[in-house]
Amino acid sequence: MKIRAAIRWALGLFRQFLQVRAVFSTVVLSGVSLLIIGGFLSYSIGNGLYTTRVDQVLNESEKGVVEVQNSFSAATVSDEVSMQTLLNSVIPKLESTDSNNSRQVALLRTPGGTSTQVLQSPISADLDTGLITPDFRDRVRASQGKLIYQPISIVGDDGFNHPGVVVGAPIDIPLAGAYELYLVFDLNNEQQTLDFVQRTLVFAGIVLLLIIGAITYFVTNWLVRPVQEAALVSEQIAEGDLERRLPERGEDVIAKLAHSFNRMADSLQKQITKLASVSKMQQRFVSDVSHELRTPLTTIKLAGEVIFASRETLQPAARRSAELMHDQIDRFQVLLNDLLEISRYDAGAVAAELEVQDLNGVVGMAIVGLEPLARSKGSEIQISIPAGEVDAEIDGRRIERLVRNLLANAIEHGEGKPIQVAVGVNDTAVAVSVTDSGIGMTRAEVDRVFDRFWRADPARKRTTGGTGLGLAISLEDTHLHSGWLQVWAKPNEGASFRLTLPRRRGMVFTQSPLPLPPKGKTKTKKEVTAK
Amino acid sequence: MPHSILVVDDDNALREMVGIVLESEGFEVDYHDAGSGALEKFNEVKPDLVLLDVMLPGMDGIAVCEQIRAECGTPIIMLTAKTESEDVVRGLEAGADDYVVKPFEPAVLIARIKARLRPLAEPEGEIITIGPLTLDIVGHEVRRGSEKLSLTPLEFNLLLTLALKPKQVFTREMLLETVWGYHYKADTRLVNVHVQRLRSKVEEDPDNPKIVTTVRGIGYKAGQS
Repeated sequence: MKIRAAIRWALGLFRQFLQVRAVFSTVVLSGVSLLIIGGFLSYSIGNGLYTTRVDQVLNESEKGVVEVQNSFSAATVSDEVSMQTLLNSVIPKLESTDSNNSRQVALLRTPGGTSTQVLQSPISADLDTGLITPDFRDRVRASQGKLIYQPISIVGDDGFNHPGVVVGAPIDIPLAGAYELYLVFDLNNEQQTLDFVQRTLVFAGIVLLLIIGAITYFVTNWLVRPVQEAALVSEQIAEGDLERRLPERGEDVIAKLAHSFNRMADSLQKQITKLASVSKMQQRFVSDVSHELRTPLTTIKLAGEVIFASRETLQPAARRSAELMHDQIDRFQVLLNDLLEISRYDAGAVAAELEVQDLNGVVGMAIVGLEPLARSKGSEIQISIPAGEVDAEIDGRRIERLVRNLLANAIEHGEGKPIQVAVGVNDTAVAVSVTDSGIGMTRAEVDRVFDRFWRADPARKRTTGGTGLGLAISLEDTHLHSGWLQVWAKPNEGASFRLTLPRRRGMVFTQSPLPLPPKGKTKTKKEVTAK
Repeated sequence: MPHSILVVDDDNALREMVGIVLESEGFEVDYHDAGSGALEKFNEVKPDLVLLDVMLPGMDGIAVCEQIRAECGTPIIMLTAKTESEDVVRGLEAGADDYVVKPFEPAVLIARIKARLRPLAEPEGEIITIGPLTLDIVGHEVRRGSEKLSLTPLEFNLLLTLALKPKQVFTREMLLETVWGYHYKADTRLVNVHVQRLRSKVEEDPDNPKIVTTVRGIGYKAGQS
């Protein structure tokens, strides 16, 4: 697990930092190149050393063999004992006991010789005759006087394997017949030279790699630092510190980047400042309109009420006028309120006052408020709510207004048929649905139902005096709660609006506790989801 | 004797119209048309109640409210065109007892005024103690030891209501009904702001109240729970 964590950490580092990646790649690629070059160097040096040494070995051997042959050829010995004496004196001269450069000798009788004289073959004390393979001996015998050699591996004095060469030549000894002279050379000296060269190469390679790594680190650091700086400054600008800029030094590409970056930041700052001032102006405008319109409206309203209160004393025409004025002042006030509300949303000046409360109660208040209107239209409001409290963190005032809005729409378009209000709840969400069985809407109408001042049928008479902003405000209220407001509708079957809200602030939900379309309605549905 | 009301508003038509409505209800009405000089007018006519517009030339209604409040506890109702929390709370914090949002129904205005002028139904000749405080109900006085605390009538009523039933927890709606006289759903911020103002006057450490304590999720009560 620890190893896996370490690997994950390293991978994370690798992905996260450009510099780590650059240094890593450079070092790996340089390492591979060095390995190839070093291998080649080591091979050629080793090869050169070996060839030179072998040439030397062959020279020495040739000299030795000729010397021995001459000694025998020139010898005038005639008996076995003196021949043996000569042999014993000549052969060991060829030996050398230098530990790294030893030379061992063996004189072996060619098997199958016809001579009856059998001399005792002198063999160097340390020599392992197994090194002289029968194969090699066959080749020596077949060589017709030429020197034959074979690379071998011998065990040195130090107990390690050393590279070596065995050289063989046939020798003709008077009286004794055909013999073979073998010289075994230890090439440890050359091996040590080669080892030293290789060690030096490896050491130099590692040092070079470290230097390359360090250089890459510093160079990338030098290149990456301005980018890192730019990233840091972008982050600060993104967090709202619009004054931050990059230093512009020199005339290279980095300076160009800094310059362009700063220009972008300038233009962003200008745009944001402009937008902020526009937004502020908008809010000021809303606030001014609010005050400027409301004061005269208050006077008109008070005057209207006074006239309305004394309408009994007026002429019939004046009386009817007083009544009309009274109603229209109320309508004007509702319209003004809706306009101001939507302007506040547009200016982003609305904050929800969330509080845990009983959704059943909030819906109940809305129903109580609209029951008289429903009754006057002949629509019965049928309620289906869960038993007990449905606690939800909502802005009660807004949700009550929203449900009132949905109810008012249902009553207006419900054609006097029953209206169903349902409340649903699950672990993460609460929902309210308002369903009528009235004239319904076509698909195209459903698409526009949340548009401002949009009316399903402009020719239809307005009875309840809605402002045309109700559903637009409802949608904004839903957004404010991070909820959904969805609609299902079918011509002549009715319409159903379903509001789904997170049960607590920040809760994520994927499903509404209530079905849409509600039970008993056709399945073909068209949804407009406000997420 | 009819109650007298001072209407401070810079809009001539509205001022006159409010006057007509108030006079038709039998109030005696005085007028002023700017923020500057409002305090002088107030001291001159000594009204029983002030209707104060928020946006006034010279000096805004909130500053006027603070000036009047610095001198006495006469009920003040703000007339505001804004419903934004900030403005409403600012007015209440300046010492206003209540507010009415334009455009308002004449009936609402009259009801609010009457609620503020309503004589208190109070037990007679009693002295009530709550913590270190002594409430003289007849004299409308609150003392901490020998030190007299200056509360507005509204703040006094709020404290008295809580003190009369020290074991009961009052919801904000209950307080709105008993103290403000509202029998319908009204703005509970009224209660919050006035409890804060009351605490700043009667508590030794308003951040750690011991006399008017909050019962989380429900409302307020007198004394520690």
